[in-house]
Amino acid sequence: MTAEAAPPGPGIPAKYSDAHSGDDTSPGGGLGGIDHGKSRARALKNSIATVLIWGAFFIALIPLVWILWTVLSKGLQPVLHVNWWEKDQSGAGAPAFDHNLRGARHAIVGTLLMGLATAVIAVPIAVLTAIYLVEYGSSPFARIVSFMVDIMSGIPSIVAALFVYAVWVTTFHWTLLPIASSLALTMLMIPVVTRSTEEMLKLVPNELREASYALGVPKWKTILRIVLPSCLSGVITGGLLGLARVMGETAPLLLLASYTQYLNQNLFHGSMAALPTMINDQALNINVHIAEQRVWGAACTLILLVLGINLLGRLIGHFTKVKR
Amino acid sequence: MKNSRIAAASIAAAAAFGLAACGSASNDSSGNSASSNSSSSSAAGASAGSSASSGSSAGGSATCFSGSLKSSGSTAQQNAINQAIAAYTQQCKGAKTSYTGSGSGQGITDFIGKQTDWAGSDSALDPAKGEPDKAKASCGSQAIDLPMVVGPIAVIYNLKGVGKLILTPQLTAKIFSGKITEWNNAEIAKANPGVKLPSQKISVFFRSEASGTSDNFSNFLNQTDKTDWPDQHSKQWTGKVGQGKKGSAGVGQAVSSTPGAIGYDEWSYAITNKLNMAEMDSGSGPVALTAESAGQAIAAAKVVGTGKDVSLAINYNTKAKGAYPIVLATYEIACLKYSNPTTAKNVKAFLTYLASDGFQGTLTQVGSAPLPKSIQQKVQESIAAIS
Repeated sequence: MTAEAAPPGPGIPAKYSDAHSGDDTSPGGGLGGIDHGKSRARALKNSIATVLIWGAFFIALIPLVWILWTVLSKGLQPVLHVNWWEKDQSGAGAPAFDHNLRGARHAIVGTLLMGLATAVIAVPIAVLTAIYLVEYGSSPFARIVSFMVDIMSGIPSIVAALFVYAVWVTTFHWTLLPIASSLALTMLMIPVVTRSTEEMLKLVPNELREASYALGVPKWKTILRIVLPSCLSGVITGGLLGLARVMGETAPLLLLASYTQYLNQNLFHGSMAALPTMINDQALNINVHIAEQRVWGAACTLILLVLGINLLGRLIGHFTKVKR
Repeated sequence: MKNSRIAAASIAAAAAFGLAACGSASNDSSGNSASSNSSSSSAAGASAGSSASSGSSAGGSATCFSGSLKSSGSTAQQNAINQAIAAYTQQCKGAKTSYTGSGSGQGITDFIGKQTDWAGSDSALDPAKGEPDKAKASCGSQAIDLPMVVGPIAVIYNLKGVGKLILTPQLTAKIFSGKITEWNNAEIAKANPGVKLPSQKISVFFRSEASGTSDNFSNFLNQTDKTDWPDQHSKQWTGKVGQGKKGSAGVGQAVSSTPGAIGYDEWSYAITNKLNMAEMDSGSGPVALTAESAGQAIAAAKVVGTGKDVSLAINYNTKAKGAYPIVLATYEIACLKYSNPTTAKNVKAFLTYLASDGFQGTLTQVGSAPLPKSIQQKVQESIAAIS
């Protein structure tokens, strides 16, 4: 759409020219417009369409701005506290009898650690799958794998969590550990990263591969030294975007990660808090002021974290871009 | 060039790790406080109900442990337990106890499934469902019910301009079973002379998940009025009218935000949500819910547990003057013998604190009532036997 609208249409205010495709008709109308009445009707239609499209745009914007405004106006105050980032909730009593905000470090660290563990497991699997599908995939097996990735990306997050719960608790009778949540999140992250990596690999021009083969470089070395480096930025961006998506995921945590108010940095011991579970825990008492502050603070922190990781992904993508 | 790219990626990863790694400040163990406070240890259980400081406001001295404990269950005792954890960690910095309010049913499931170290439940393990046997299999020893907190159940309502509402058990049963649907019903008006009741629909709220509060409340309805509430007591609410809400806090919130609403909730949540509580008239005059009136009812409770088990039977039909009849005893359910000695020591230390005078004395502040002395002593004896 942006490509179509790039040259500013004649007779249209320049500030509108790149915002919508609705004005594509009017340049044509303006050029071929000999009949004055007709062109006026067209101009009228054009302005109606413009108004409608801008209206739709603003309506779509309302919830977004509203959410951001609510979260920021209610959550920024606790987030700006130093304690928020340095302390956990240990020592917190029942919400109605506790007047101390305390911090969210336990949840922030928990979210980051679980997310990181998820990425460590999911990204290699996903990238290798994508390489297989793009570089080697022409066999029926590859088609099955591709189909399975599609199915996996359709798995609702709660079902992934149920699966882990069934294996971990029902079958093996183990005590749930923080890493169990990471395993469930892994199942959600793999298809996302696989698909994005696949797209990136497909973007690498075949000529590069052929040139490499022509020099006598074996296929594995071509993939490792030519194909991957030239799309590395895209792969990293895809991985970080997948991570950002998974970190805000709540359903698996509700089932698999019990909330605790203490900082725990061991993925293989005890229970670990995360921002979504902290929100869930505190939201029960949301009509108590202190709990309300914690809820919005945690929501704001989560948004900031996800935003930060998204930005990081874009930045890495920007700076590691291969210049052609 | 390739190296610089990998470096960029690894810096990102390292930054994320770094944030996690430098947060170990609150992780230190507190061996010193454990040794300094061990004077009133578990051995004192049998006779020393009152030996553990009676006058202190911070909740008495406790035997400390360091490490983590995990528990879940009843939301009725969640406020009390949270307060206990807060007071306990003030004395014992290394003790990390967490309690998830997921409902009594889930608490028992978690405990039997070995997900938690002990369970909080508003009802004792139910032999009809084979719960004691399952818990026994999971513990490798008997699992014991220890009443710990008396949680009166408040009948909460939201009626503009009606600050005082008197209900009888029969009226309560009729409202919750849907036989009375309007606030200006003649029977309600008869029990409340001089009160102007609005012509408004009654919206009933109940607990959506398996809950000990539902169990005790339905038991009360069934025992006091079999014709209007024929269903046996059940953790899962069996009423046919109204809406379910999750957790004690959920019910409290729903009632506070819905005009014309009525519900049952643990006392502390009624206080938290600043809700009106109905007075209960069981035949000897209306009784408001206070720590004393609830204590009177629980004092009449009989211990029916055998051995170290202290499960109680509450008489909801009490006609005693000044006794508020709807009370529940919320239990901690623990193994008598733990396979892991450290867990046993930790659970014992924390439960000992819960049963101590120091903590029981603070319970009225959070909208719960302390155990009667005789029962408290039995509980302390049982805790002393945990190993």
